Amino acid sequence: MEYLVVSTLNGVVHGLLLFMVSAGLTLIFGMMGVLNFSHAWFYMLGAYIGFTCTRTIGFWPGIILAPLLVGALGVFVERYMLRRVHKYGHAHELLLTFGLAFIIEEVIKLFYGDFPVSYQMPSYMRFAAFTIFDTNYPFYRLFIGGVAGLIFVGLYLLLTRTRIGIIVRAATFRPTTVEALGHNLPVIFMGVFAAGAALAGLAGAVAGAFFPTSPNMATDFGTLVFVVTVVGGLGSVEGALIASLMIGLFISFSVGLNWALADLFGIVGLGPWAQAFGGILTLKLSTIANSMPFLLMLFILLVRPAGLMGDRQ
Amino acid sequence: MTAIAPAPTASAGSGSDVQIPSSPVLELRDLRKSFGETKIIRGVNLAVKRGERHALIGPNGAGKSTLFNLISGHYVPTSGEVVLNGKQIGGLQPHVINRLGLSRSFQITNLFPRLSVAENLRISVMGQHGYRFSMFRPVAGLTAVTAEVDQFLEKIRLTRRRDDNVGDLAYSEQRALEIGMSLATNPEILLLDEPTAGMSLEETAYMVELIRTVTEGKTLLVVEHDMSVVFGLCDQISVLVYGEVIATGEPAAVRNNPKVQEAYLGEEVAT
Amino acid sequence: MTRLRYLLILIALGVFAILPVFLSGNLLNAIIKMMISALFALAFTLAMGQAGMLSFGHAAYYGLGAFAAVHAMRFVEAGAFSFPTPLIPLAGAAVGFLFGLLFGWFATQRSGVYFSMVTLALAELLYTLAPTWNSLFGGESGISTIRGASWGISFGDDAHVYYLTLFWVTLATWCLWAFTRTPLGRLALALRDNEHRVRFLGFNTHMARTLIFALSCLFTGVAGALLAIATEAANYTAFSSKASADVVLQTFIGGAGTFFGPALGAASMTFFARVTSDLTRSWLLYQGLLFVLVMLFVPDGIGGLIAEHSKKVKKGGYKALVLPYLLCLVTGLLLLAGVVFLVESTHILLSDGYIAKTKSSGGAAVPFSFFGQDFNPRSWVTWSIPIGLLLAGAALMPAAMKVTGRAWLHATQSAPAQGETA
Repeated sequence: MEYLVVSTLNGVVHGLLLFMVSAGLTLIFGMMGVLNFSHAWFYMLGAYIGFTCTRTIGFWPGIILAPLLVGALGVFVERYMLRRVHKYGHAHELLLTFGLAFIIEEVIKLFYGDFPVSYQMPSYMRFAAFTIFDTNYPFYRLFIGGVAGLIFVGLYLLLTRTRIGIIVRAATFRPTTVEALGHNLPVIFMGVFAAGAALAGLAGAVAGAFFPTSPNMATDFGTLVFVVTVVGGLGSVEGALIASLMIGLFISFSVGLNWALADLFGIVGLGPWAQAFGGILTLKLSTIANSMPFLLMLFILLVRPAGLMGDRQ
Repeated sequence: MTAIAPAPTASAGSGSDVQIPSSPVLELRDLRKSFGETKIIRGVNLAVKRGERHALIGPNGAGKSTLFNLISGHYVPTSGEVVLNGKQIGGLQPHVINRLGLSRSFQITNLFPRLSVAENLRISVMGQHGYRFSMFRPVAGLTAVTAEVDQFLEKIRLTRRRDDNVGDLAYSEQRALEIGMSLATNPEILLLDEPTAGMSLEETAYMVELIRTVTEGKTLLVVEHDMSVVFGLCDQISVLVYGEVIATGEPAAVRNNPKVQEAYLGEEVAT
Repeated sequence: MTRLRYLLILIALGVFAILPVFLSGNLLNAIIKMMISALFALAFTLAMGQAGMLSFGHAAYYGLGAFAAVHAMRFVEAGAFSFPTPLIPLAGAAVGFLFGLLFGWFATQRSGVYFSMVTLALAELLYTLAPTWNSLFGGESGISTIRGASWGISFGDDAHVYYLTLFWVTLATWCLWAFTRTPLGRLALALRDNEHRVRFLGFNTHMARTLIFALSCLFTGVAGALLAIATEAANYTAFSSKASADVVLQTFIGGAGTFFGPALGAASMTFFARVTSDLTRSWLLYQGLLFVLVMLFVPDGIGGLIAEHSKKVKKGGYKALVLPYLLCLVTGLLLLAGVVFLVESTHILLSDGYIAKTKSSGGAAVPFSFFGQDFNPRSWVTWSIPIGLLLAGAALMPAAMKVTGRAWLHATQSAPAQGETA
């Protein structure tokens, strides 16, 4: 029971965090057809900006500065790089952002070294929100979940209730029509790109203070974000939400389970044989928790190649 | 509602040489397609006989393109049958349908822009010769394929542009190649989707004449807006309105059909 | 022209054949690595440049090829069966092909960016799985082995490994080149241009793409096996996204649109990485910057640039290009010097050693030395150097681009007159 509650909470928080980053990615893709490979690297940049600010001007200014600076970087990337290579096609745009991700990572290594930095939340936020059974549940996890939840609600209201939101959603489906209706499409693109980048930066600044902040965080998190978008269906914000929660829960549950394929064989009496066979049969679910999202993705590709909410090709 | 020939019994396995000339190559039986709640194709019955040049006309939004996409395997029918030579093909994959003898051209030029004209045709031809996934012999050695490519180049009058990139061709030349490629898979029935769309008067006349010569003896189903093309090219016309065929017959008969006139009333009928 | 090409290839092969006579072990090793990464890039290009499948996870097949080779060598070592060392790359090829079929079947369900992400995730699956699976991947430390002697060759000498690698890389390159001339190779180009149309011409495109992807993985597996033979080890880091990224970067710097461009890019990048490894720790940053610059300004890569020149520049046209290109070179060098100064001095100033020095000097400015010169980090004179270099480069750039553009027109004008009779 305790395991169930804690794992669910952790999973939801992780899922919401994933959503915060993948929502921007999927919106940008839906509108511009550009898969911004460097999106998770924007997230990492946010974490490092947050870290630098805690060292100098404090935690909260960092939370505010990170999205602003990363958003500004987003504007630069869209305006001066992506727009320049647009004529060569989407693969070229993807490659450009791929190279950008590479540069961001190397620059961060240049300034902060190859190892994790100790980016800490302020001490007054370091307390247990509540105790469930014997587990002290950290307040900061709830804080991450809360911020991500707020962003989700805000994004939802923005997209469904405001004029800008309607234009953005329309541009996701029929960019040329939106342009023909007299909206300045390049500015909308730049805005959405910047907003997506800013969201990723904010997520990084908030989450980096709890999860390890290291030059590897973008690769690890980034591949998860890509899995989310493939599972959810690129371009679909709802799909991103569902897939994020699904993957968050999936990971948090498999971390604590010591099941192995051999146990399955045990049911039919082949347990000892499977134990003796070893290899993949005795791998515990908990040790391969990191691989679970990828297995989930393969399964989704088998049954629904377009993703949960994606259109059929 | 429509004058259609009775369905022939399935005659799979019989070679095309023993086919009765008037038996339908392609038949649509109560074909329906809906997208969500919207019914686009609402029970189409149509038969295209061997050797026939059949035009499919109708006002914008009648469902002509959808019908083509259903026949060629791009969409899966909601219900009903598409029968090619007595075999149900509705819902099959496009490449399977193509190998069963149905080929289509596209309204928007749909070529391999970075390959040469001859290479474009060669992709079509080599599949026909069974070299689909062959990787142990160079294409230069496939003399039969090369000869056939040259033959088709001659037919569509692009021999002198043989080694030019398709991206550098003039529009009408690309359209000719488009039809040549569909034809090069040696189909029993060829579906042409607005072959003269976007062409000038002279280009259109040239194209009609070209299509007539290259498709000599082939069965055709053509979607076309330009009535001069339809009357110059086809001997049978079906009129599609709101997802239903309201008339089928010879050009003169269809032109005088009151239902057709009613459907086109207020529409601009190109003459 | 073709004669000349064959002659050039023969000369190149001849040079490669006699290299071990002149070169020491260390340099020979560098050339082995260059050849392997060139083959990796060529195999990658089979999927990307020819069939339009941009794989972000090709390290998976590279690593699998390496592990297959290591396991084969260990079996031979243990005497389980005998298999001549020179044929070990076949194990890499087989495993690469099989996994290429399996993973490719999944990945080619989708095209475009989806394909890229699925390949990335598949490689990441292996990367996360491998360290937990001791018996197969040797955990975090990996597996090592020893090259066995066979056919009367000990394979203990670097030169033996060199010739083995040279043989396989030449053979594989020839196969890859010959493949582009086969029906399936031509079909790959058609798939790249317009997959949709290929389906309507009677081809099962999913199968075709899976097969082409698997062939690319086959040759990637050979490259991985050659690496394992050269290093006598395989480690799970072979699956890392960094390895996948390297091949993408190198291929596109070289130019994925030409056949030899990727090999050129990979070999030269590997060479530079090796040469600069003693001088800088920021090679990867420079490689990334180079990649982005190539993407922005030379979209067809270096190979594409060369091809463009040999195709379009008319006879004697190069004369007009010499001066503009010199100007471009000067501009590039100014910018490069500025960037290098900034990156390397940052590196020094943030290093632990330097920070310790400032602490021990009680906060006084400690000069840092760089290229044999001492610089004061707190003096504006120091920082005016890189900024001056960058500004000078930036100021020259528009002029260089303008002059070069004009010279290019001059050098290529009236060249493609033949055949234009319309």
